[in-house]
Amino acid sequence: MKQIVILIAAVLFSLLFYGQSVGLNLALFAVLALVLLLFYNLKKFRDRGVLLHSVAYLLSAVLVFVHRSSLSVMANLLMFVSLVGAVSESQSSIYLKWLNGLYTSIAGFFHRNIDRQEASKASNWKQKADLPQLAKLIGIPIVFIILFVLLYRQGNPVFEGLIARINFDFINLQWLLFTLMGYYLFSNIAQPVLVEPATSADLSVSNNLLETANFSEASLKKEQQLGTTLLGLLNLLLLVYILTDIISINAMIVSKASELSIQVHNGINTLIASIIIAIIIILYFFRGNLNFYAHNRILKNLSFLWISLNVALIVLIAIKNQNYIGAFGLTYKRIGVYVYIFMTLIGLLTTFLKVLNLKNLAFLFRSNTQVAFMTLLLLSGVNWDRRITQYNLTQAQDFDMDYLIKLSNRNAILLYDLKDSVAISETQKRAIEKKYQYYIQELQQRNWQELNYDNFSLDLLKTESNSVFK
Amino acid sequence: MNLSSNLGKSTLLASAVFWGILGSKVLQITFMPFVLLSFIPIFICVASSVIVSICPIFWLTERESFNKKRIFKAYFPYYAIVVFGICVLAIIDNSFSILAIAFFSSAFISTCQSWVWFAKEEQP
Repeated sequence: MKQIVILIAAVLFSLLFYGQSVGLNLALFAVLALVLLLFYNLKKFRDRGVLLHSVAYLLSAVLVFVHRSSLSVMANLLMFVSLVGAVSESQSSIYLKWLNGLYTSIAGFFHRNIDRQEASKASNWKQKADLPQLAKLIGIPIVFIILFVLLYRQGNPVFEGLIARINFDFINLQWLLFTLMGYYLFSNIAQPVLVEPATSADLSVSNNLLETANFSEASLKKEQQLGTTLLGLLNLLLLVYILTDIISINAMIVSKASELSIQVHNGINTLIASIIIAIIIILYFFRGNLNFYAHNRILKNLSFLWISLNVALIVLIAIKNQNYIGAFGLTYKRIGVYVYIFMTLIGLLTTFLKVLNLKNLAFLFRSNTQVAFMTLLLLSGVNWDRRITQYNLTQAQDFDMDYLIKLSNRNAILLYDLKDSVAISETQKRAIEKKYQYYIQELQQRNWQELNYDNFSLDLLKTESNSVFK
Repeated sequence: MNLSSNLGKSTLLASAVFWGILGSKVLQITFMPFVLLSFIPIFICVASSVIVSICPIFWLTERESFNKKRIFKAYFPYYAIVVFGICVLAIIDNSFSILAIAFFSSAFISTCQSWVWFAKEEQP
């Protein structure tokens, strides 16, 4: 029964993906994969973590249908791997879920093959089924039937005509191989496996720091003195830097995009170096027993001040980036700066929580990866090409139309709608019309597997224009 | 370690996968001599990849307390993920050509199965 379910899923896999690009098929695949996982691992779905991953996976599949962007496809694949990993072991860290999910998806079959229990089950099945007898039962009659069909067709023209009518063109070997690949994938994920000993090691590590036995107060005092001096001076230096940066922002009159770009990128480089060094220094001093040292209050406060000053540095970079965007429009790189700023802010916040609540390095890795994972899902929920186009054409002081034309076709309809409301050259207008026509043609030529939200909005546009004509 | 048997079986498997995929698009009856001849380069590829990338792991890590099955469970996951990544990148780099798909799929499947055969060997 279980093999039949996987076989049906494999045929559906081929139906969805063979010779198609992504669209509605990826959303339907999500439902199919979830049903298969539920069918084989019903008990594991009682866990809240697994349920949350299932919802996130379905949400990412809907986002692929709505946006059909590379980012949404990437997020969907990552959610699939995470869900499979969560079914393998729901209590592990997110990166272990990725490891388990990826391993299960690509090599679960080989892993299960080595499992002793499974091997013994397989041998029992083989003994019961009597494989050589089965091969004889199927193989020998087939060979003799083919031989006699070849003989008889020589002797009887009516029989030959009958045989000639049999057409095997419907059998497509590539389709069969594709179905086999689907079967391999579904058979892998049906019973998720674990990467050991990595999973056990991860489960045994908690998020809390523990005080070790060799507690030398003298060495801790020296370390505390060093930390206080170092962080005190670094705080002073960063404070001076921030003050000069505020003065330079207030005095800044920049008319060229290149000048502002240099300023933002220099700021980002400073930020990268500063935050990395800040986190390393804090992690070094608060790696062990200094967390439990009675006289560590000054060092802790200096660390919190250092983190706060780095947050101020982030705010300054965000102001510069916003000035840049307001003057010269949105681009993927400028959005990337915001993503980086946000992730850095989260990194600093988790470092603050680590020091405050006596957490270890595992806590930092786990929480930051979790936030990065959620950020990816949230970012994939936005049609960035459309957002960039809308902002640049309606709010930015200046914009680069050639950049907007070169973006993916997901901004084609909006560009076409706004082309007459902005001052652009005739060549650019023609390029926009060409892009629009090409996109509409592409939408109309899609198979049902490749459909996405734009297909339905196009139908709506057609209906509206028809009603206007009537 | 029964290396010769493993290499023989892996070569047969790699040939079957390679020609199975390639044959789904371009195979004709006139290719038969090439299929037979291809066993030699396929054997060289299989032998070199198994001897260079799999055998050293067993040779270096096998102990009485750390048998072949445990070696498999400890190292195979990372090996499979790395090889899968390399094969996928190579297929993308070759613009999904049928030759690249056939070659790298057979490489992935035969090396993974080779691990299974090594791990399933009876302990002396």
